[in-house]
Amino acid sequence: MSTSTQNPSPAMQPVSMGIGARKKYHTLNAALNLFTPEGSIQFEKDHEAVALYMAQHVAPNTQRFASLKEKIDYLINNEYYEAAPIQAYKWRFVKNLYQEAYAHGHRFASFLGAFKYFTSYAMKSFDGSTYLEGFEDRVVSTALFLGKGDAILASKLVEEMMTGRFQPATPTFLNAGKVQRGELVSCFLLRMEDNLESIGRSINSALQLSKRGGGVALLLTNLREQGAPIKKIQNQASGVVPVMKLLEDSFSYANQLGARQGAGAVYLHAHHPDILRFLDTKRENADEKIRIKTLSLGVVIPDVTFELAKRGADMHLFSPYDVHRVYGVPLSDLSVSENYEDLVANPMIKKTTISAREFFKTIAELGFESGYPYILFEDTVNRANPLEGRINMSNLCSEILQVNTPSSYDSAAGYQVVGRDISCNLGSLNIAAAMASPDLGASIETAVRALTNVSDHSNIDAVPSIANGNKRSHAIGLGQMNLHGYLASQYIHYGSEEALDFTNIYFYTITYHAIRSSNQIAIERQTAFEGFERSTYADGSYFEKYVHGSWSPSTPRIQELFASARVRIPTPEDWGILRDSVQRHGIYNAYLQAVPPTGSISYINNSTASIHPIAAKIEIRKEGKLGRVYFPAPHMTAQNLEYFTDSYDIGYEKIIDTYAAATQHVDQGLSCTLFFRDTATTRDINKAQIYAWRKGIKTLYYIRLRQLALSGTEIENCVSCAL
Amino acid sequence: MNAIQPSPVHEGLLSVSVTPPSYRHDPSSRIRPINWNRVTDEKDLEVWNRLTANFWLPEKVPLSNDIPAWQKLSPEEQTLTMRVFTGLTMLDTVQASVGEIAQIQDARTEHEEAVYTNIAFMQSVHARSYSSVFSTLTSTKEIDNAYEWAVGNDLLQERAKKVLYHYFGDDALKRKVSSTLLSSLLLYAGFYLPLHFSVHATLTNTADMIRLILRDKAVHGYYSGYKYQCGLQTQTLATQDAMRKFTYDLLDELYELELAYSGALYEPLGLMDDVAVFIRYNANKALMNLGYPARFTPEQTAVNPEIMAALSPNSDENHDFFSGSGSSYVMGKGEDTTDSDWEF
Repeated sequence: MSTSTQNPSPAMQPVSMGIGARKKYHTLNAALNLFTPEGSIQFEKDHEAVALYMAQHVAPNTQRFASLKEKIDYLINNEYYEAAPIQAYKWRFVKNLYQEAYAHGHRFASFLGAFKYFTSYAMKSFDGSTYLEGFEDRVVSTALFLGKGDAILASKLVEEMMTGRFQPATPTFLNAGKVQRGELVSCFLLRMEDNLESIGRSINSALQLSKRGGGVALLLTNLREQGAPIKKIQNQASGVVPVMKLLEDSFSYANQLGARQGAGAVYLHAHHPDILRFLDTKRENADEKIRIKTLSLGVVIPDVTFELAKRGADMHLFSPYDVHRVYGVPLSDLSVSENYEDLVANPMIKKTTISAREFFKTIAELGFESGYPYILFEDTVNRANPLEGRINMSNLCSEILQVNTPSSYDSAAGYQVVGRDISCNLGSLNIAAAMASPDLGASIETAVRALTNVSDHSNIDAVPSIANGNKRSHAIGLGQMNLHGYLASQYIHYGSEEALDFTNIYFYTITYHAIRSSNQIAIERQTAFEGFERSTYADGSYFEKYVHGSWSPSTPRIQELFASARVRIPTPEDWGILRDSVQRHGIYNAYLQAVPPTGSISYINNSTASIHPIAAKIEIRKEGKLGRVYFPAPHMTAQNLEYFTDSYDIGYEKIIDTYAAATQHVDQGLSCTLFFRDTATTRDINKAQIYAWRKGIKTLYYIRLRQLALSGTEIENCVSCAL
Repeated sequence: MNAIQPSPVHEGLLSVSVTPPSYRHDPSSRIRPINWNRVTDEKDLEVWNRLTANFWLPEKVPLSNDIPAWQKLSPEEQTLTMRVFTGLTMLDTVQASVGEIAQIQDARTEHEEAVYTNIAFMQSVHARSYSSVFSTLTSTKEIDNAYEWAVGNDLLQERAKKVLYHYFGDDALKRKVSSTLLSSLLLYAGFYLPLHFSVHATLTNTADMIRLILRDKAVHGYYSGYKYQCGLQTQTLATQDAMRKFTYDLLDELYELELAYSGALYEPLGLMDDVAVFIRYNANKALMNLGYPARFTPEQTAVNPEIMAALSPNSDENHDFFSGSGSSYVMGKGEDTTDSDWEF
């Protein structure tokens, strides 16, 4: 989860001159979206905007110190920096580390990168009037914190971050080393069970996690449907919608305590009887009582729903209340595909029907109106899950996919059994920078170690089920970004045969090193994640396709690309050795990879977001704290424009093909947004969803739409209008 | 959906019947129901489709997320915002209850009549949406003050009445000119403020709502201008000359009024120079919609890049879902999947 930013200290508005004042750097930045009279994009205006912003805004508002020592002492004595992470090292080392960081001569490549960094990440004085950190300071502070006294690791981390190869996710990069801070992990997934204690406890947990700057997803699948009995009296339960309302209001409330938008998501199984009511909360004309504005929605769809739609059949919706009574397990922990016929035939299970195709059409309609819901392909996800247990939900960005177990509560809502809920901390590699690394395997290992340290640092005591899950799994999510930027910089078209070849081999290589690193940590600490012995890593079946398969570039161009970058592609023999070591020592992290949408950090890192294509050559970015800002696609120049086709023009097939090439190697998920023009119909969206499911995509994130101005109403000379 | 070729039966029907608004001129005529399968002007269908796809209600925008930003505004800035929005509400009320409806009787096709009913309704939605901003961000007392100001402000009254005079007049073309000038010129001085806000990350959800309004207004002004040009073509050269003169005269009057009205509002914040440029830019835009050459030179209409770049009615902002609902979603076109889509 990294698209939002947070800032736990209040009143962090940098020096404001009142709304009447215009700012020249905004003018220069906006010029990016206006062609010159000759019809070329004004790249240089954005560079001028950065320089002006740094000179006119940042420099005069940055506090100066006579020496580094004075600065660090000041920050520690005034409770800006925690002393311990710095004092874990010798001062001379710390001093050298700062010098190393400054020696990189870092410059922000875009106005948005600089603006975003100073608006949302840089530490400011408590009154909000002055900046106390530049980019290098944040990097060193993060490296020292994550190094936990290990000078070699801290030094490597500075190198990885300053070269842009590794970028920790927002909550880690924003908070590391600060006294006044939120959690380093910001992605949480909570189960909800079918009783009032669980619902109440979940709302409390949602509040607690929101207060700490977290994005929270909750599972609604197990809640009894509208009209289900309570204490055997029929037609008593109100279903999932009122719970959604409570959650939405809870997130808004927690939102007011900090500067961050409270953010939450809810997931519901497609065969839950409330599914249409759940979806209708996002309707344009929904009644205020049931309208959901800010809560994100996700639907869990098993294979059987596709089979039913294929046959043009009705789909049965099953009462979770009855399922739990009859099967002894909650609906979320039962495979609906495997038990479908049985559930239909069982007279003890109350059911209703809707047309399966109408269900898909409804989802597509809502995609148009709101961008929601996310989709989780339940059976695909569970087939690919290396651990014992079931995956029944994802998170706010739909890339976290882990098993969970229920908690139970006494009547005072205290824990009887502390179950396992999910948290995940993320960090992403910039693919272009990573390919330029002198040792890609070492870069990956440094990233895995940094993320593991974040997991070790975390102990969310306010929500015991989260703390319990983290303690047992040490799950991390290594992500990737800048795929499109890298491909274009190599004159390769996104979604082309070569691009898919690259994606496959790159992720293959990453996976090898991620597992190798986690195995290394398990060897050092002599411990694996809990449940390792019941995983497909332990029985070796996970490694089958790598030990017995053949994974090498199929195109000469990609072969050459890896060769000239001196990136060694792991062989089946390498995998065999790794399998043996893993079977003997285990791996430390239950989950290793997850590819987030990388909103904010990719702007700072000058990367194209995640592994999708660019939204536009000149992206119009709109955020609550930034306003409307223009962002030129990273690596784009006047010469390579043709390789920067945007997502709407590339179309869903190539995007899904790219994700499929990556998905086969990633243990968790990848946030996959689909892009349509307003001329698309619900059928086009359904076809994309069917295609994604067939290609083995695990989850789908937002639907984004672009509508161009009616011909005759456009603004002249506007880059984003010229499509 | 393409227009169906004219048929003798259809032509015959058109000649023996009228649409409902004609009743008041000739109660004895036969009335015919609207037939969307006989579209005579493709523009009607194109605009209808766009307007209906763009249907929205203010309730979808999480305006309450703007409360912290609102509280950071100075009292002067808050007052300016309230007044600008009340002024916009005034014009939208005029359009919703008189301006658009008055054009129904002048329609050249039955489908144009339908389009104006849609436009009239959306104008009411726009007028309503400013009230949503008020009720979310401010108190009843402040709202009452703003409305008192609107009723008491002579310039605002005069702006409204200048166009109302023609709406109630007996010249269909003058009605079109007035309506186009209102949609494409008068409203925009009010939009300057939220556009300026959106650049400076203030009231961004309100700005999202204004983008939705802008998206509609761009179509409304364009459509009235287009229909005006269709009507003008059928007139004598003398009438065409007279209408040209009328248009430029009315534009000049409204322009002067606009400078005076907006000056009083924006001057205290030092924004009036920029607003004046913006007004001239939109004056030219209004003339373009009506098919006339620009009134002001490019130098006089060089709008700030940041406002200019934000003015595009494209729905292409890549918004952060966690801080707003965006302004790019539309009503989808439903289409059933077929068996071949499910072949796997």
